Amino acid sequence: MAGRVDSDKVKEKASDNLNDLPTFHAENMQNNAKVMYYSRTFMSIIGGVVAGILGLTGLMGFVFYFLIMGITSVGLAAKAGFSIHSYFDSWNKILLDGFFGGLMSFVLFWTFAYDIVHIF
Amino acid sequence: MGVGFVVGVLGVLILSHAAYSTIQYRALLKITEEEFSGPPINVVVELIAGLMLCMWAALTVPGKFLSILPHSDENRVVALPENLDFMIFNHRGKAIPMGIDAKLK
Repeated sequence: MAGRVDSDKVKEKASDNLNDLPTFHAENMQNNAKVMYYSRTFMSIIGGVVAGILGLTGLMGFVFYFLIMGITSVGLAAKAGFSIHSYFDSWNKILLDGFFGGLMSFVLFWTFAYDIVHIF
Repeated sequence: MGVGFVVGVLGVLILSHAAYSTIQYRALLKITEEEFSGPPINVVVELIAGLMLCMWAALTVPGKFLSILPHSDENRVVALPENLDFMIFNHRGKAIPMGIDAKLK
């Protein structure tokens, strides 16, 4: 009759049931942030390889990176079905989170691919 | 997870084939001593195809988004913990009106 306790913990920050929704399911928020991080990192790497193969140099490469990140943001918003509020707490999170985190990976794989294709 | 992974690997293979084609194109340019202004059109098409496949894989492989609303249907906590000996249900809380609608599935 008494089952095992559910391992999901809902952290209640409000004591009143009639409040608005200031509380969220913390574990699922972390899961969503992790999924977004993996997606953005992978797309940064792939974008870097493509920029290197295309032979982009200088500012054009960074423009390409922002283009790839923009497309990834649109893709993530489409994956959430454009109903952002049931998966994230604000629009900023899905559009801007990890935007610059992938920049280092992009530059690394950009120089890597450029060297392989155009120099050696 | 399996299909997305295969699509991602396929995208990476297409990208590496495009890289190899570009290396050969550059070797050809070195022979004819021309400037490299951009890879040929078929390589660009191949790059776009590889990019699309990898983007699809990047969006589907890491996993689904889970709902964070505490009152949605899949976030119900319906099990009782095991340490019921330490839980008292016959207390003054029954005098407080509760605003939740307890619905059984």
